[in-house]
Amino acid sequence: MSHRRKKLTDLLDPAFMSRLDAMDVLSRKILQGKLQGERRSKRRGQSVEFADHRPYVAGDDLRFVDWNIYGRLEQLFLKLFLEEQDLTVHIVADTSDSMSFGEPSKELFIKKLTAALGYVSLVNNNRVTISFFADGLTVQLANMRGRNYLDKMADCLLTTDCEGPTNFDSACQQLVSGRIGSGVMIVLSDFLFKEGYDSGLRRLLGRHYDLYTIQVLCPQELSPELSGELKLIDIEDADAAEITVSAALSKYYKRNLTAYCNELKNFCNRRGAVYVLANSADSVESLVLNYLRRIHLLR
Amino acid sequence: MEWLTPMTAVYAAAVSVPLLLLLYFLKLKRREQIVSSTLLWKRAVQDLQVNAPFQRLRRNILLFLQLLVLIAILLALAGPIVSLIAGPARRYVLLIDRSASMSATDVKPTRLEAAKEQARVFIDSLRSKAFFSLRDESDQTMVIAFDNRSKVMCNFTSDKQQLIRAVETITPSDGISSLAEAIVVARAFAQSPGVEADYMSAEEPAQLVLFSDGQIHDLDQIVVSSDELIYHCIGESQQNVAVTAMRARRSYENPEEVNIFATLSNYSETQVTCGVQLSINNNVYAAQSVTVPPRRAIEPKDAVRPGKLAVDFSLSNAEAGVLEVRKLQDSNESMPQPDYMSCDDAAWAILSPPKKLSVLMVTGGNSVLESALQACPLARLDVQTPTQFDTTDPNVLSVEPEYDVIVLDNHVPPTLPKCRYLVFGRPPDGIDVSAPEELENQVIVDWRTKHPTLKYVDLTNLFAAKCHRMMLPRDADVLAEFNETPAIALVRRNGSSFLLVGFDVLQTNWPFEPGFVLFCYNAASFLGTQLGQDRDANLQVGQPIVIDGLQGDTPAQINGPGLSGSEIKAGPSGSLRFPGTDRIGLYSLSIPEQKTRLFAVNLLDQKESNIEPEREIVLSGQPVEAEERGLSRANLPLWPYLVGLALVLVCLEWIIYNHKVRI
Repeated sequence: MSHRRKKLTDLLDPAFMSRLDAMDVLSRKILQGKLQGERRSKRRGQSVEFADHRPYVAGDDLRFVDWNIYGRLEQLFLKLFLEEQDLTVHIVADTSDSMSFGEPSKELFIKKLTAALGYVSLVNNNRVTISFFADGLTVQLANMRGRNYLDKMADCLLTTDCEGPTNFDSACQQLVSGRIGSGVMIVLSDFLFKEGYDSGLRRLLGRHYDLYTIQVLCPQELSPELSGELKLIDIEDADAAEITVSAALSKYYKRNLTAYCNELKNFCNRRGAVYVLANSADSVESLVLNYLRRIHLLR
Repeated sequence: MEWLTPMTAVYAAAVSVPLLLLLYFLKLKRREQIVSSTLLWKRAVQDLQVNAPFQRLRRNILLFLQLLVLIAILLALAGPIVSLIAGPARRYVLLIDRSASMSATDVKPTRLEAAKEQARVFIDSLRSKAFFSLRDESDQTMVIAFDNRSKVMCNFTSDKQQLIRAVETITPSDGISSLAEAIVVARAFAQSPGVEADYMSAEEPAQLVLFSDGQIHDLDQIVVSSDELIYHCIGESQQNVAVTAMRARRSYENPEEVNIFATLSNYSETQVTCGVQLSINNNVYAAQSVTVPPRRAIEPKDAVRPGKLAVDFSLSNAEAGVLEVRKLQDSNESMPQPDYMSCDDAAWAILSPPKKLSVLMVTGGNSVLESALQACPLARLDVQTPTQFDTTDPNVLSVEPEYDVIVLDNHVPPTLPKCRYLVFGRPPDGIDVSAPEELENQVIVDWRTKHPTLKYVDLTNLFAAKCHRMMLPRDADVLAEFNETPAIALVRRNGSSFLLVGFDVLQTNWPFEPGFVLFCYNAASFLGTQLGQDRDANLQVGQPIVIDGLQGDTPAQINGPGLSGSEIKAGPSGSLRFPGTDRIGLYSLSIPEQKTRLFAVNLLDQKESNIEPEREIVLSGQPVEAEERGLSRANLPLWPYLVGLALVLVCLEWIIYNHKVRI
């Protein structure tokens, strides 16, 4: 089988990519990176930007003693400089069966969004980790940095299929136990988990990520156009629900959907995470270029 | 309230209600639909069930409505009616005239159909004992159809469906109408309590309800008490032109020549111009246009006599065949006179092949008689002595008749071959005629001048020195009478005809009268031709087809109007009877190894062709007026309302269903 290596342009429009070139991922928190990068970190370190003074204690590097102050005050103070470090961007995408549902499908939307966010992160020399989960973590591209990884990311995105049931909790458990540095974490999913999303999200929040949750739903979920006597079959676990579609039932479905989304939103907001609801019928471009900038995920 | 067909509804309910419930409780075959997650749907269903009040009721409201619709339809099927008539239950006899005049089409589609429709309305109005009925009395009704015979279609019953079915099965006939027999039958049935008449006394007279056009032949033989008979007159017009007489006769002198006489009668008030056509074996032979005068009233009472026109055709060289005289449509095309009755527009006659007579004379010597017979135009005249005749095998003469007429002069043979006889002197034995004694000095007191045998015969001066006293059976035809005994009589027995002259011509002065030769001529002509096969083959409606002298149990097949290949069988005595000639037309009878015989059955009845509806009929002097008002339903049927209710419920169900599923 001739396996053509997939290009990023299979997912993203070049015009869109050129607009993404000007963007960068923001973090509301100043987080500790691992390598020297382009953003400020909490660590004082070697750079040209002065940050603070502190009294000298034995063992400090004498090269950073501020001799001018010693001349005036006859006390040893150490000059502290801001260290610029890289940012870890962690994109977690749901690739369970349910994502393949919808017209246009949520899978494509999530992959495009992952590609766009990954592209922005890679071109800005951030450390990018992309994780796919279904029944636990399935694929992980860890610690990518720089443009060189663009093709690898694209290939992975385009060759991963959505299949299998979801187990968000175990996926999160695997995520936090992985040695991925803290940073921005973007979770892309429909969050329609039968066992609930809260325990999984709590695990992620416990590691002080700058957490963004993007809930992607398709139009068929947002306003279903069903009629008649139906046996609904869950695409993941083949669970059946027998319904007679009526005006009242439709009303209750929409009320429940709104309540579910609001609950997720409140859950996130109360814990300092950002919640975004996306419709798979909308364009990824406008979501990235407008909405994500407005909520300061991107710059 | 009563129920016409409760059992139908019960059976339908027994089937449909469990079926509906079964259908409802059957698990619905749902369409499968794949969704990303059933999570929210299940919550929505739970919410719906929790929040909607009377949810269980709401789920079943469609079932309730369907049940209501079904109940409404079932009730409609049970045929509920509200009876608007009161009074005790009665017994009715419906007499429905199905004679030829009831086939007239002045009332669409025919008078008989109109009568049947009125009878149905009448039956609908009857009160019946039924389930859930508030009253336990019911009217008992019987249906009789009559033409010249009466036929009980249904004995006394209160089952309306059975009565209506009985009325439906009445078929039109072309017979003449006679009511007396029907009334006798009706009374006979009415006096014995019917099957269902548990308590009604048989003495209570049944009400006779007559549906007819009033043209009934034997009204003067019927006696009914006042109010016993209700008469519904059916018919509107008297427009009819009919062939009321037809006769085809071979000339006695020249048998090749045939004269056909027909009479056209016009019953309308204007003269009618129409065509008359003669066909032989379906080939039109002649046609002429005639104008039939209108009918005219005659003085005593206001009886009317149709305008008549005699039409004759003459065939110079006619073989055997079927003659048809048919009245054609009104030739006045601009304003054709309607002719509402079609079964009397044609008449048929079967013409036997031309033949001169062969006569056998059995005598001990009678030159007077012999010379008188020799004067007749005969093909052959054989003379045998009594001894010669008695030694001849009678079966030879019966099976292959060599002679058309046998003249017995003062001879009583021991056996009589089947033939036509002219008997002088002592009548033969075995024909129910006895001659116990001889009388003397008899003079003629009366004779029938119009009988064909006595045409132009003057018997005024006939004197018989000696004659036999003839004790005749009841069906004998007396043609002339002496002062103490019949002188000349016609008797038909065992397929033979006997013209009995009760004296020896040599004992009278008759040979000296010119009438004697004429009588011999007439008698030979009458016995030989008019009583011949032609006469057997030309019948009136209702007359049976009779063939004698066959082997017992001989099978035969009869074809005719409304019949196709009906099988009949000769009786053990060798005579074949087919009484079902109640439609006009040609009948053909095939007997194996014999020539097919044709029979013409005609209406040819002046009274039956008169289709004028009689508003008043007079039964033995008692006038009965036709009911002025037409029959109207005395029962209010409720089923249309129930069907309407069912429709409303169906609409309601539709609205509710749509309301439920609308998104």
